[in-house]
Amino acid sequence: MSRYSRTAAVLLLFVGLAEPAFARQDTLYMSVLNSRKHRLGALDNPTVGLFMSPDGGATWQHKGWTGYIRTFYTEAGPDGVLWSACGNGVLRSSDHGLTWRITTGWEITEALKVKVDPKNPSIVYAATAYGVFRSENSGETWTRRNHGFVKPFVSDIVVDRANTHRLLAASEDGLYESTNSGRSWKKTGMNGRGIRTIVQDPGNVRLFYAGTEDDGFFASSNAGKTWTASNNGLTNPTVYAIACDPSAAGTLYAGTHGGGVYRSLDGGKQWHPVNDGLTNLVVHAIVVLSSNPSMVLAGTLNGGLFKSTDRGGRWNFNSQEEAQVWGLWVR
Amino acid sequence: MKAMTTKKLASALLVMIASVLQCTPAQESAAPRDAFETRRMRLIDVVSRERDRSFNTVTAKLFSGNDKTYALTVLDSLTTDESIGGMFYAYSAIGTYLKFRDQLPDSMKRKIRQAFRARTMYRGDTENHWVMYYTGMYLAAQTWPHEGRSEWFNGKSSEENFREAEGWLNHWINLSSTIGQGEFDSPTYFITFIAPMLTMYDFANDPLMKRKAQMMVDLLFVDYAAEHLAGNYCGGHSRDYPDDIANPLAAPSALWAWLYFGEPKMELWQENRYRPRNRGSWETIFGATSTYRLPEIIYRIATDRSRPYVHTESKRVRNVIRFGREMNPPVYKYTYMTQLYALGSLQGGILQPIQQHTWDVTYASDKPNNTVFTLHPFYSGKELAMFFPEEQKFLSDEVNRYHFVYTNPNKWNSSSPFEQTFQHKNALIVLYDLDETAQQPHIDGFFPKNLDEREPHNSGWVFCRAGSVFIAMYPLKRGEWIEEGPNWRWRGNEKQNGVVVEVGSTIEDGTFEAFKDLVVQGHPEMKHTRESVGLDYTTRHGDRMSFMFGGERILNGKTIDFKSYKFFAGPFVLSERGSGIVRMMYNNDVRELDFKKALVREWRQ
Repeated sequence: MSRYSRTAAVLLLFVGLAEPAFARQDTLYMSVLNSRKHRLGALDNPTVGLFMSPDGGATWQHKGWTGYIRTFYTEAGPDGVLWSACGNGVLRSSDHGLTWRITTGWEITEALKVKVDPKNPSIVYAATAYGVFRSENSGETWTRRNHGFVKPFVSDIVVDRANTHRLLAASEDGLYESTNSGRSWKKTGMNGRGIRTIVQDPGNVRLFYAGTEDDGFFASSNAGKTWTASNNGLTNPTVYAIACDPSAAGTLYAGTHGGGVYRSLDGGKQWHPVNDGLTNLVVHAIVVLSSNPSMVLAGTLNGGLFKSTDRGGRWNFNSQEEAQVWGLWVR
Repeated sequence: MKAMTTKKLASALLVMIASVLQCTPAQESAAPRDAFETRRMRLIDVVSRERDRSFNTVTAKLFSGNDKTYALTVLDSLTTDESIGGMFYAYSAIGTYLKFRDQLPDSMKRKIRQAFRARTMYRGDTENHWVMYYTGMYLAAQTWPHEGRSEWFNGKSSEENFREAEGWLNHWINLSSTIGQGEFDSPTYFITFIAPMLTMYDFANDPLMKRKAQMMVDLLFVDYAAEHLAGNYCGGHSRDYPDDIANPLAAPSALWAWLYFGEPKMELWQENRYRPRNRGSWETIFGATSTYRLPEIIYRIATDRSRPYVHTESKRVRNVIRFGREMNPPVYKYTYMTQLYALGSLQGGILQPIQQHTWDVTYASDKPNNTVFTLHPFYSGKELAMFFPEEQKFLSDEVNRYHFVYTNPNKWNSSSPFEQTFQHKNALIVLYDLDETAQQPHIDGFFPKNLDEREPHNSGWVFCRAGSVFIAMYPLKRGEWIEEGPNWRWRGNEKQNGVVVEVGSTIEDGTFEAFKDLVVQGHPEMKHTRESVGLDYTTRHGDRMSFMFGGERILNGKTIDFKSYKFFAGPFVLSERGSGIVRMMYNNDVRELDFKKALVREWRQ
């Protein structure tokens, strides 16, 4: 590469980084586990799996296999490579979803979440029903990283942006922390509680949020060292999904079982249901578009995808009638 | 004397060494073999006249030459219809390809190859799914070696697919031959193990894998044979459909018994009262067209009921992924087999989600619904979440969509944490201790309407007669009788309850009256504490059984130690748990499957 090319590349990179948020176009990734319309042996079963939208949910394109492989969650790494957590294992696509490879073998199954190291896209973690697995070569090989777990069922994992060797894992009996890229784990909070989801605040690396089975919402302001339950107004205590408004510190959304979507404007101290138009109240996934934070999408179990353009004030059905929208991710 | 013994031992050893088999089917005597050949050709002929769109029909038609054109049309639609995929497709498609590669036009072969390139092949979430998926992938990768990642639906090369499939199949064979299958002894799902393993036996190029597949087929059959009675798969089952539980000869396994064991004598597909679901369980065609031949010793074990016997097994719970203390807790199985009936039970508790069948009496009969059993119709999202990774509050409804009855209070299959059993020969105690979390606060009993007699006795016993078989049940608490289609439902509405069961027959007891006279002498003595329910009971043969829910099972003063259960123990099959050596015995003949060394040995004692 010539000196001028390098300079141009650096400039392009700079332009890209400096691009104002409002000018970016988010890409949405929706993982549809199954559909209420699916019937065993039927020839006209709805297409499930991964759908992508380049225009805030106005249109959706299906990517990858059309049949049922239990697609739980999909996200892209910083290099644009797509990763899906599925019943068949961890899937990878480096051509925007045109072709896929199952990167895992028989030892890894029922992958529930996959998370990419934000600084090194070849390092990938899978949260599975059998514990945590790590790949450091873009999924060519995987190693089990379960030392320290009492019960290895892990439904979510976060790579700390402040220190990517530090991980937090949502297990069936509490929150676990690793400071050495998953080589060892120790329980760090919420002992005995079933943690369903864990999220790091996009604007403050010391803020973490967790949703639990039956025990509501928890927040930590010291990078996950201590946790406080914060459930004022949250009357449905099983929290499957948490999303943060990147443009408004403290604005959070919680997707619950049976209570639909709750919104908090103060970092979770007080919650209010925001369900107008939401006809299915089992919400398993939520995202806020960074390019347009008024736009929020909620994935329901058996009710499809809903979209709000006014921060949850009003929801409209978007797509995937009667589908189980298990995962949502926005780039 | 000593010299003779040594000589005998030496010659026995020589015979044993000489007969170490390297994949050669055991010798059969002519009669069962000829009868099998007749039955298999009959089945092929019958299925070849079917017109349904399935690999079974294609297989029968191409094998027999009957309507080959139609077979190819069906096969073409199966290979071009992209809505079909998954594990059932994977092993069936490659099995058909390999069986008929000399008959298939190249264009059809290319379409089957293309299916493995483009079709979604879901691996599934159960043991039987994985057996079908990895059998399919093993044989497909073997058939099309040295092809790159872009040539396979999953982005793995032929070698990667082959290694992965081989790795899991070896893992599964090792587990299944040492601590048992998780989906053990299933009349409904038997086909999903036996058919892929027969396909593997027929087409694996690697002699070692071929031999292991043969040994697995032997193991599956002898596991069935030891609890087989006139076509019925007796005893407790890990998974069974309600219709198959209530009408045992309607289960798919029955047609395999017809084919390989020659029982029942009737052609099940012709009998409306037994006709298996979806008209045929025609996957049996994979047996009829296979080169595998059942060793005669297994046939003898399946059909000789000249003497009653106790047969015990230990199997395993399928993977417990959360809310448990162990990944694969053991299952303890006890079955008492006789010429006319079998009484069998699992220890109770949650051993499988959704479709467990904990105990029953099954009797030989020319009438359908030839079984009696009780259960607690339990359901719980948490139970499902022990085995499936989806959300526990979501799972019950989801499972209902596919299994239809999971939350139904009247269902006929269920595991329950509130049910425990204690069996000794032909006597059984079943205790129920329902707590406030039990959504269905009752227990149910299934009694076919076609029993010759069903008579509540003032002693508290209910006496039933089905031909020459006598069944007595003593409910600890009063219940109600509800008339339904083919059966009476006995419903007990007490949360702490239980039943005592005794089974007899004309062979053991002479007459029904004599049986009743003996049984009424043994009054169950209920022990009801604030914490639990239990009872002491002396069987009609004088054995003292004492059992508290959650407590010890005490027989004649001695505590039953489940930990001492072998993998198989009985007069016909013996295996130490974990040994990987399964010994079949009939009269003086022995056939031993040594899974650790992948060897089959046969000798005469």
